[in-house]
This record gives sequence, structure tokens and C-alpha cells, in this order.
Amino acid sequence: MAGSNEINANESKMAVPLNTWVLISNFKLAYNMLRRPDGTFDRHLAEFLDRKVSANATPVNGVVSFDVLIDRSHNLLARIYRPAPATAAGSVPLLTDLYQPPSTDPFPVIIFFHGGSFAHSSSNSAIYDSLCRRFVSLCDAVVISVNYRRAPEYKYPCAYDDGWAALNWASAVPWLHNGKESKPRVFLAGDSSGGNIAHHVAVRAAESGIEIAGNILLNSMFGGNHRTESEKRLDGKYFVTIQDRDWYWKAYLPEGADRDHPACNPFGPNGVKLEGLPFTKSLVIVAGLDLVQDWQLAYAEGLKKAGHFVKVVYREQATIGFYLLPNTNHFYEVMDEIKEFIQANL
Amino acid sequence: MKREHQEAAAGGDRRGGGGGNWYAAAEQEKGKALMGTDDGVDELLAALGYKVRSSDMADVAQKLEQLEMAMGSSAAANDDALLAHLAFDTVHYNPSDLSNWVDNILSELNAPPPLPQPPPPPPADDPLSLQFDLPPAVTEQYTIGTVDLPDGSPCKPADVDELQPEASTASSGWLISQSGHQPEVAKSLRDRKRLKVCSSPPSSTITADAATAAAAQQVVIVDSQEAGIRLVHALMACAEAVQKENLKAAGAIVKQISVLAASQGGAMRKVAGYFAEALARRIYRPQPPRGMGCSSTVESAALDDMLHHHFYESCPYLKFAHFTANQAILEAFAGFRRVHVVDFGMRQGLQWPALLQALALRQGGPPSFRLTGIGPPQPDNSDALQEVGWKLAQLAKTIRVDFRYRGFVAASLADLDPYMLLGPEADGGGVEDDEPEVVAVNSILELHRLLARPGALEKVLGTIRAVRPVIVTVVEQEANHNGRAFLDRFTEALHYYSTMFDSLEGGASPPAAVEVGGHDQAMAEIYLGRQIYNVVACEGAERTERHETLPQWRARMSRTGFDSVPIGSNAFKQASMLLALFSGGEGYRVEENDGCLTLGWHTRPLIATSAWRAAGDPLSTSASCRTASS
Repeated sequence: MAGSNEINANESKMAVPLNTWVLISNFKLAYNMLRRPDGTFDRHLAEFLDRKVSANATPVNGVVSFDVLIDRSHNLLARIYRPAPATAAGSVPLLTDLYQPPSTDPFPVIIFFHGGSFAHSSSNSAIYDSLCRRFVSLCDAVVISVNYRRAPEYKYPCAYDDGWAALNWASAVPWLHNGKESKPRVFLAGDSSGGNIAHHVAVRAAESGIEIAGNILLNSMFGGNHRTESEKRLDGKYFVTIQDRDWYWKAYLPEGADRDHPACNPFGPNGVKLEGLPFTKSLVIVAGLDLVQDWQLAYAEGLKKAGHFVKVVYREQATIGFYLLPNTNHFYEVMDEIKEFIQANL
Repeated sequence: MKREHQEAAAGGDRRGGGGGNWYAAAEQEKGKALMGTDDGVDELLAALGYKVRSSDMADVAQKLEQLEMAMGSSAAANDDALLAHLAFDTVHYNPSDLSNWVDNILSELNAPPPLPQPPPPPPADDPLSLQFDLPPAVTEQYTIGTVDLPDGSPCKPADVDELQPEASTASSGWLISQSGHQPEVAKSLRDRKRLKVCSSPPSSTITADAATAAAAQQVVIVDSQEAGIRLVHALMACAEAVQKENLKAAGAIVKQISVLAASQGGAMRKVAGYFAEALARRIYRPQPPRGMGCSSTVESAALDDMLHHHFYESCPYLKFAHFTANQAILEAFAGFRRVHVVDFGMRQGLQWPALLQALALRQGGPPSFRLTGIGPPQPDNSDALQEVGWKLAQLAKTIRVDFRYRGFVAASLADLDPYMLLGPEADGGGVEDDEPEVVAVNSILELHRLLARPGALEKVLGTIRAVRPVIVTVVEQEANHNGRAFLDRFTEALHYYSTMFDSLEGGASPPAAVEVGGHDQAMAEIYLGRQIYNVVACEGAERTERHETLPQWRARMSRTGFDSVPIGSNAFKQASMLLALFSGGEGYRVEENDGCLTLGWHTRPLIATSAWRAAGDPLSTSASCRTASS
């Protein structure tokens, strides 16, 4: 066993820059300590280890952020990121400035759901604060990063409910409206579990007549009872194991459910039919060294078969977490794809 | 192919404000990422909260691999014990210092596993009411409860000023305990690890930069309603007018504020009221009414204590402060038979019952405990300082801890000299003479006052160093209310106290104090209101509420020759669990910040605990490395 671990380490080390390897291996080590075999989670240690950053209304690289309590009953917070308002350079924007549309031209409102396999991270985690700031700079967007309730303390459908609450909240905020329109141009985006949440919130939106301009799914988290070829081939090779995926699904899905539950497997035997629904357009980004890729590709196929637009971006040599550090072509080229997709659907 | 792509993109993309700049910045960043940096720390990881020298990167990677293999083989052998041990028994320190964090885990891996020992039994015949309230997920490692100070005093002073602090009522503190059953070997191992963590250079590099960089302007909006926004806008506009010395305009706006505030509810209305009042004083400069002035008087000292106590009861910030400071002190005192705590702000001694209790339950028995309490002059020659000491002595007697107390009255901490604090070492003859006495200096919300007089802080830090403490615990408000520009201070304070007041509304006191909850909250608001007044309406030596942020304090402490002693995951966990006892506690968050712990409301840290030791002090060094003798 020790031998194969060594091989795994060498393979994954060759696939990513050294600092990326250290970052993701550090998460892997920490997460291994947090998941208990009995299905409980060491939440306190998780919060201790997670690196967080505060919101900052002082512009940094042209971006400001502030936190908003969306729903007091659930303590649902969201971090809003936006281009710095045009005030005197160096001074802190007034609160009223923060609440003005960033532009008279159409601008995207990206509702972002951070990853963490439904259990880890928060909207103020440093890795996601960094990513959201990037999205703002990328396309002059307002980004709303939702601090949804996490498993195993809060199982399905809490994360979706929080996403839905955030979407409704954003739809009613006046300064997010685009120009003469009475509604914002909303994109739903997320990585890992966040991608899964984006899908399910988009379904609710389609069912309720709320228009979504586009979905952006980055290495999104789907699964099923069946063990796919990519899962078997890549198990344990690039930071992720089938065993840990199983643990997170068990933590999120209802008691007694299996992985063919529609939350996990939306196009599986228990899936909801999307034909005929005004479901949005999707950009699905898949990493070729992610063991979940077969499920992500099957998801894209499912959307196509249901008659919905989907563009798949397949990065053959990318691992999970490639979008956390701006040190590879994967990072920059995928950011380009995202920008293109947003601008095409604004 | 890569190069073509970039050139095409850079040339062709003009859409959106960020377009042209995006690629230039991206390229620059990528170059940096590939080359690493001169001063050594990997910038990309630093942006994500991890400090790793580029030159250490391969080494850290290798250690991670080692851990991977060790955990892999134990998983293969179906040995959950290792993983459980790493997760549960290991105390983690400062995750930002990745190299040391990984080393810590590796050393846990290589250390002999701790022998399972039963926790020390609670003293059954104890007259005190000790409630051990175990939250669900806790195991025998943590004993958490409350400790009450005995009631009444046989030697009440003849004249009792009506403004006497209500020290005679029971005050409950959060009990702390050591991660009980670790054998002595593991304890010294832990101390060595913490020492190693202290001395890693990247910490000081980063913190110096952080302090000079602009402090983050943290805004948490709990009420997105239009009226609330307009109210904040009016307050800011008024403050701006004051800064520009346009007092006529300021006066007009401040009148509008009371109208706007009246239409608001809850926390925002109260906060606006206090800020408006402070602004009005600044604009009109009438004589301040008694008790609300800029200069602190002997009378106001007693009022201060009383309000402080209500603040203590109504919300968890001070309990958190005491708890985390006590934890650090307890760990630093491990293995020593004679310990001495110097408390820079004795007040009613709310912090010390819990520490006494923890020392009493210590493995190997309690040390001799000496407490020096510093307090301001009191009205009517009443001796509150001595009275508190007497009560603590009573408590110590019942739990059989050898206890000595001395109170010092000082108008300012800068009036203290080291010899005052140290005093005579040997109280009796014989064996005790051979035992060194180790000192902890404890400062809860006291150091910032010294910034009002140039040189005062430096003098006090010098005094602390001269006392050669094994640990210095510092708790301060986590905010920059000491900026040079009035408007900056005002803005910071507005956001800070808005969040603070919101937490008072949202997080009620624990069930035990529910019947006086309302009263506590009202008094706590007045307590905070006085701080607001001081920050906004006062200047010069009278403006004593000169709060500064963690990066600022870190820079000061490290400049004066102190090293950070990281506070670990055990204290973090226990503090988090205790917060769950507060109803409405969902909003409270404990965070770890480069070795320090903060408590905040939602995402906004409001109070920070840090621990320090003198850099390169041989006594401190050897003290921490000492293996205990039972």
C-alpha cells in the first residue's frame, strides 16, 4: 500500500505546480482529519484550520466587498463583491455608493456557491474570496457569494434552500437591476458542491419563471450508485478518493438515501425531467484528472438530451482546484471561457 | 501556442473596463508565480493565508507526502486509531505557518501515543456549585462549566458608596481545563512545538507589512433597508462636515439624524443615538454632564467597573477574553510550582476564579498562586481592590490552592515599576526558595489607553519585559479607532459599534441571567456608549479609547521584543462550544488569526486575544521546554 501511495504522490506532483500541490495536499490532509468514520464532522477544527479573510470596503485592485445578512432566521450571510465605486481615490466608499449600480451598461450578477463538497469552506474562506474578486475583475460583475448551510449538520435540501433564498433576495435588490430592466442579469456559478447547487437552484428558477442568464459549473459535484470508469481509474491518484466522495454524499443526502437520489444524480433513475422547462444555458468545465468527470460529462449529456444549451470545456491535464491559483494555463484559459460565456449571454 | 493566444487576447479585447488591464496583470502574476519571490515567501499561497518560504516548498511537500504514506498504510490496516489520534488529541497551532503545522502533526505521529487516563474527578465535597455542562460532541478531555465567586464579605467597609461595583453578587466565569490526560512527555513536546512555531521568521515579515498596509474596512450590513442606509449616510455626512470644520452644516445634519433615528428600530437606532450625541458634543462643545465627560475621574472609575460587569454578563466578549487568556496562562504555567499573575485591570477579578479552579484540578496538584491586582484610585477611600483579593482568597481556601494577593492602586499603568510587580520572592523559608516563580502578565482592554500619552505604552512594555514573564496575555478590541483622521475613526467606529450593538440584540444572555437580561443589556449599551463618546468627542490625552487592530498590536509587540505564542485549537474548540450556550449564539464566531483568536459577530471580529513572551529570553525559553516534575 505504501508503494502505491508513493506512485500517487509522484503522479499528482507532476500534474500541478509545486505550490498548488502543497496547497491541495494540505487541504487533503486537513479534511482527512475532519471526516469521522461515524459520519460526524469536526466542525470546530474545520473552522480553526480554514483560512478566512474579512470583507473590505476599501478598494483592493479595484474591487470592494461587504457582507450582508440576507436571512436573519437562518443567519444566512452573503459576501457581495463589486467594482469599486467611482469616488475619490483611496477613500472608503460611502455606504450609499456601494449601493449604486456599478455601471449604466448591462453588468452580470454572479451568484456564486463556493465548493467544499457541501461540508467545507465558507464565503469568507480565503480561497473563495480570491476567486470571487477575480470574477469581478474578469467581467465587471457583481458577485454574491452565498454562505449556505453545510453538511453534515444541515443536509439536503438546506444548501439549495439557501441558494434559492439568495436568488430571490438578489432579484429584489434595486441597485442590481440592469439599466432600464427591472431585474438583474443573473448567472449562477459554483465549483464542486457549488456547481451542484447552481444546477438545482437553476431548476427551481426554471420552474418558477425566474430568468437565469447562464449557469457556470466548475468541476461540479455529481455522482451515482454506479462506479464509473473515471472513478475507478483515478481513485486516489489526484488528491481525491471514491471513499471521500461517498462520505460527503452520505453527509449531505437524506438519511437512508443512496447516490441515485436526484440531488446527487439529476439525470439518473430518480431524476427530474427538464424537457420543456425554460432551463438556462450552461458552461460545464471538466478537469481531465478529476475522478468525477464521467458524472460531469453525463450531466452535460443529460442537459443536451433535454434540449438545453451546454458548452463543455474539457481540460485534459487539469486536476481539481486548478482555479484556486493563477499559475497555469488551465486557470487563465478557463477564466477566458467564463468571461466569453458571460459576455455572450449578458 | 500559449504565446499566440495571449497576444491575440491582449490585442483584441477592449470590452469592459477590466479587459485591457486583466491580461497585463495576469501575465505579471503568472511570472511572479513561476519565479517565486526574493524575500522568500510564496506570494500566491500568502494571498490564500498560508506562509511558506519558496525555499521550503519542496521540504513541506516531502513532509506532506510522508504523512500521506503513514496515513495511507494505517488506513490499509483499518487502523482508525491513528487518524482519530491526529484529529482529536493533537492540538493544532497557527495553520498559516504551514511548515510548522505539518511538523507538528509529524511529531505527533512519531511521539508515543498517550496512555488513556481517566479525567480528574470533580471534587465532590466542594462547597462551591460547580456545574459541568457537557455539550453533546465533547469527550472526557473537556470539562466545561461555570464557577461562582462566594457571596458576601465579613469586612464590608464602613461607608459603601452607592456606586460600588456589584462585586458581592455571584459572578460566573467559564471554567477552563487542560487537555487533561496527556502525560508529561507529551506536554513538553507540545511546548517545544509551540516554541518552534514562535520562532519562525515569516510571521514577523508578514505582520510588519500588514500593519503598514491599509487596514481592512469591514462592513457587515445587517439591515439593508433604505432608512438604515440613509441614517448611516447622514451620520457620515455629519462627521465629514465636522472634519472639514463646517460646524454650521454639521449642526444642521445632526438634527436630521435624530429624526431619521427615531424611525429606525433596535440596534441601529441606539447606535445612531450615541454617535449623534457624541457628534453634537463635538459641534457645540458644552460642558459634559457628570459621568459622561472626556476626563476620567475617580467617581467614573467605580461607574466604569459597574458597567463593565454588566457588559460582562450580557454578552460573551469578556468571558471569551478571560477564557482564552486563562488557557494560555494555564499552558504556560504547566510544570511550575510557584506562579504569579499580574492583572493590569483587576476590577472585580472576574477572570480569576476559573483559573484558580483549573489550577486546583491540575495534574500533580496546584501550584502556589500569587496574584497582583492593579486598579485605579477609588472614591471615598474604599478599598475595592483589597475586597476582591479577599474574596478570591476565600475561594482559593475552599479549593485548597495556596494563594497570596496584593493590590496596587495606580492612576496609570505607566506609573508602575518592575520592582513593584515582582516584590519579595520568598514568603517562607525552605524548599520554596529553590523553586523559581514564573510570572504571567494579563492585560484585558488596558493597553490601548496608554496610546493617549506618548511614551506610556513603551514604558509599560519595558516594565513587562523587565519582569520576564513566561506569558503575556493581551486582549484588545479588534478595530482601528486610533486613525489620525477624524472621519476614518468615525467610520471605523460606526461599523464596529453597529455590529457590536446588533450582537447585543441578537445574542441574549445565557438562561441563568435571563431575568436580569434586559437590565444587563441596557447597562452594556451605556458601557459601549461611553466608548463611542470617547472615540468621537474627545481628543488628546483624554481620548483613551484608542483601539488598534491585531496587525498593529503585532507590529508593536514584535518591535518591542516580544514573540507570539500561538493559541491552539483546544482553546478554540472550547471557546466555540461555550458560545453555543448563549441563546442567539449562532451569530458569534471564533476565528483563528495567525496564532491569535478573535470573537466576532457574523463575519466581523470584535475582540482579539493574543499571547506573547519576551523574544530570546533564556528564562522563558527554558521555562517552556521544562519537563514537569510531578
